[in-house]
Amino acid sequence: MATIEQKGMYKVFPRSGKNVSFTHYCPGCGHGIINKLIAEACAELGLQDRTIFVDPVGCGVFTYYYWDAAHISAAHGRASAAATGVCRARPDAVTIAYQGDGDLGAIGFNNAFQAASRGEKFGCIFVNNSLYGMTGGQMAPTTLDGETTTTTPFGRDPALTGHPLHVCEVFAQLQAPVYIARVSVADTRRIMQAKKAIRKVFEIQRDGKGYALLEILAPCPTNFKMDPLKAADFCMNEMEREFPLGVFRDEEAREPLAARPVPRASSCRDLFVEKDAVLPAVDDAAFAEKRFKFAGYGGQGILSLGLCVAEAARLERRHTLWFPSYGPEQRGGSANCSVVVSGTPIGSPTVEHPDVLVCMNQPAYERFAGDVKRGGTVIVDETVPVKTDPPDGVRLIRWPAIKMAEEFGVPKAANTMMLAALKKFKCTGLSDDNLEKSLVASFKKKPALGEKNRELLRLAEAREHS
Amino acid sequence: MVVIDRENCKGCGRCVAACPKKCLALGETLNAMGIKSVEYKGEGCISCGMCFYNCPEPYALKVEK
Repeated sequence: MATIEQKGMYKVFPRSGKNVSFTHYCPGCGHGIINKLIAEACAELGLQDRTIFVDPVGCGVFTYYYWDAAHISAAHGRASAAATGVCRARPDAVTIAYQGDGDLGAIGFNNAFQAASRGEKFGCIFVNNSLYGMTGGQMAPTTLDGETTTTTPFGRDPALTGHPLHVCEVFAQLQAPVYIARVSVADTRRIMQAKKAIRKVFEIQRDGKGYALLEILAPCPTNFKMDPLKAADFCMNEMEREFPLGVFRDEEAREPLAARPVPRASSCRDLFVEKDAVLPAVDDAAFAEKRFKFAGYGGQGILSLGLCVAEAARLERRHTLWFPSYGPEQRGGSANCSVVVSGTPIGSPTVEHPDVLVCMNQPAYERFAGDVKRGGTVIVDETVPVKTDPPDGVRLIRWPAIKMAEEFGVPKAANTMMLAALKKFKCTGLSDDNLEKSLVASFKKKPALGEKNRELLRLAEAREHS
Repeated sequence: MVVIDRENCKGCGRCVAACPKKCLALGETLNAMGIKSVEYKGEGCISCGMCFYNCPEPYALKVEK
């Protein structure tokens, strides 16, 4: 018969600059027992070359020194989120997240729960020792009622901090998980059950069945402030009373998960760009870069106006960026957008000192007029009281955009009236033809409105201006 | 038969409690870490492996059949 010895672990662990063959765990720690079972299951099933472990923050942080397989270390609480990425990027891998009760039950609960709800294809091994171990034994969500920790020195008081969180029971409300169970490593019989359950988690992943959660109750002699055998007794008696062992879900007979649909690489382009009109920008160092700011309140068509200029630039094969800024409200809040048009690639989409500023209301003028570059232009709606002059060397144009739009019977077209001003006063460096084309294109879902706006644009442009 | 690597033992005593034949005991001498590590009494081992699975350390002991 074969020797009973450790499988699936490295022979030496190069920790802290030394090669040792013992772990960092305290004497009698449940993690050590669990680490051995995991390495053994992985090796005995021949899965070491397929397995990617996602390691936690907590006492289990050094598992990458021990298990002879691939590893990724996640930030605190994020092992299930990282495992989601791993299992989606590598659907054929056996992905195993290893997390503690502070990690999974507190900071990372939502990550773990949502991953379970989505039925991600990984196994989550969740070590519950009823407290934060590595940081010195603070209360965790799993701390028992009355249990003494450094942050509950008189025992956990449910009136103050609630009752222990039953992770398996909560996760068992979800449809997607294939397997959910709670085991323990407090004594030999329990360790043998845990060994089978860990093996099962690997088998479910090997066969691509879906999400599995295995909670393992583990003694923490150091922070329980007990010797290893008393700590194991506490684990068996006190912890199991709160966290009964058992299988909450076992649907291992399920069919393997179907491959997740992969978003088509071209889908963004299909959604946002006209397929027949995508021509890349052409470098032209002779074209002087222009920076625009359009500002007003949401609903005045400020963002659309900026987009229209950017689209005209794109039609002209200039480099261009459009960058909106607005509050949480869809209508009525302050809104502005920045547009950069350049003959060379653009570094930043933000515009602090515009060449051209278009203001549709008073706050916009007051906020941005002082920033306009010397030699630049401010176009401000005639309704805006101009209480302070723009900086020296800046041209101020007061333009009756809102009034004209009302006169034409299309009050919403005030932004088109502003485009007329940009065109009339040659503020953009772009061709009249492209400005009109982009205006019409912005109404592509309502072509009649596009033509109407083109007509209004021409009428407004023809208007005398003093 | 149980084979012990004293330098990897942390002296927690879980194997001593788990051994059905009571053939393990914590020794009196210290290993390099200063720990009274486990020792095999020299007879009685039935190679059941309970000590191995109760031990938190991967290389503190193994069981030869």
